[in-house]
Amino acid sequence: MKKLVLLLFIGASFMSQAQKVSTRSGFVKFFSDAPVEDITAENNQVSSILNLEDGSFAFLVPIKAFQFEKALMQEHFNENYMESGKFPSASFKGSIADYTKIDLSKDAKYTLQFKGTMTVHGESQEITKEVILVVKGGKVSVQAEFLLKCSDYGIEIPTAKKDNISNEISVTVKFEYA
Amino acid sequence: MLKRFLVLAAFAPLSLWAQEDLMAELEQADANKTEYAFATWKGTKVVNLQTNELPGKGVLQYTILHRFGAFNDDFFYNFMGLDNAQVRLTLDYSPTSWLNVGLGHTGFRKTYDVFAKYRLLRQSKGARKMPVSVTGFSSAYYSAIRVSDGVDRTFGRRMSYVHELVIARKFSQNFSAQIVPTLIHSNLTNRAADNNTQIAVGIAARYKITPMHAITVEYVPVLNPNQYPDLSADPLALPMNVPFSNFTNALSVGIDIETGGHVFQLFVTNARGVAEPYAFTQTDGSWLDGDLHFGFNISRVFTVSN
Repeated sequence: MKKLVLLLFIGASFMSQAQKVSTRSGFVKFFSDAPVEDITAENNQVSSILNLEDGSFAFLVPIKAFQFEKALMQEHFNENYMESGKFPSASFKGSIADYTKIDLSKDAKYTLQFKGTMTVHGESQEITKEVILVVKGGKVSVQAEFLLKCSDYGIEIPTAKKDNISNEISVTVKFEYA
Repeated sequence: MLKRFLVLAAFAPLSLWAQEDLMAELEQADANKTEYAFATWKGTKVVNLQTNELPGKGVLQYTILHRFGAFNDDFFYNFMGLDNAQVRLTLDYSPTSWLNVGLGHTGFRKTYDVFAKYRLLRQSKGARKMPVSVTGFSSAYYSAIRVSDGVDRTFGRRMSYVHELVIARKFSQNFSAQIVPTLIHSNLTNRAADNNTQIAVGIAARYKITPMHAITVEYVPVLNPNQYPDLSADPLALPMNVPFSNFTNALSVGIDIETGGHVFQLFVTNARGVAEPYAFTQTDGSWLDGDLHFGFNISRVFTVSN
């Protein structure tokens, strides 16, 4: 019996290993729509892991990897707003809500919710947002679009810049897992 | 039954641990990347010294540099020194992320110059570690001023050169410092006894007080200073009786203010000749005598190509 427990134990951890999918080249884009200018930046170095067994889900966004149209914008983003020297990455850790194991052998599209802790600029907030999970040819990908508020994460926008930078930032994430 | 419970109990922490594990795995992967220091300084100059910073690739930068008249030179009569301001203008462009080239004009001695700035090393941590950023700066100056002292000003005699090797480190988000071995060469000097080639070791530091404001300080001691006829003791002395004094080292204290595409640098300095060779080796005013000049550097950048 003891051996059986041990076997189950090993088997389970082995299985959960096998059921984790990840990517190192996930995509995150954000967009700020303010009266004077629109600011957009893209990041292709986001890593993410999704556990297909229990729906737990995490991603890590290296702030310095955001690419802007203008070099100076990128510098100000890192230096003045995100303080990426102090807070090098943003992260999300949580899970897909009401997760039931998905069937990888069937192509399908699921609209689900993910919830957990979003950490940006060293400040954490509990969030629940919609996510679209797609299974195609045995591969899983997720895509989500949601709004985050600068003020929720302690990112101060000086009064003089209120017309240039929006407090509400639209964020798009896309992860194609291998 | 007990055993079944044991099995369950064994699994519960495992699944909790699995979530922590996801994050740890992600962070692990992130640690293997190289992270370069950026924004060691707000501008491409501290006051008179260059910084290790270059405008980004495809960026055109225009700078306007002013040094007003001295505080101790009839300050209010000269409208806070504005009436006898020295001006320098520069225009530069970065064709690549590691090279910047530009042109400048300085009112002092009607000087025209060309310069190049090039990144040699970048401070980094992570996979590739480098404690400092190193940037080279080289420039050539042509003084077009008319003189009638009998010495034929050939093209060569009008030229001087400056090379700076900027070794900078961003110690923290707010504090950066640099040491700048500098070589200044003038083909023609004021006196036969003067050194044509002079060495200076500039030092500079900045401390950010808010994300948009920083305090800067800069000192450029020249190791083999030249001398100038010093009229300060006796302004009416006969030419053969005028004593010679060493030129002073340039010391400047300022504040950087950043607003989007501009950097405003406001400072007080004893160096009046805005271009490098004059600021470093031909400063005759001293802080102790109140021979100080208010000045500013303003830069504006335009992204002209990606």
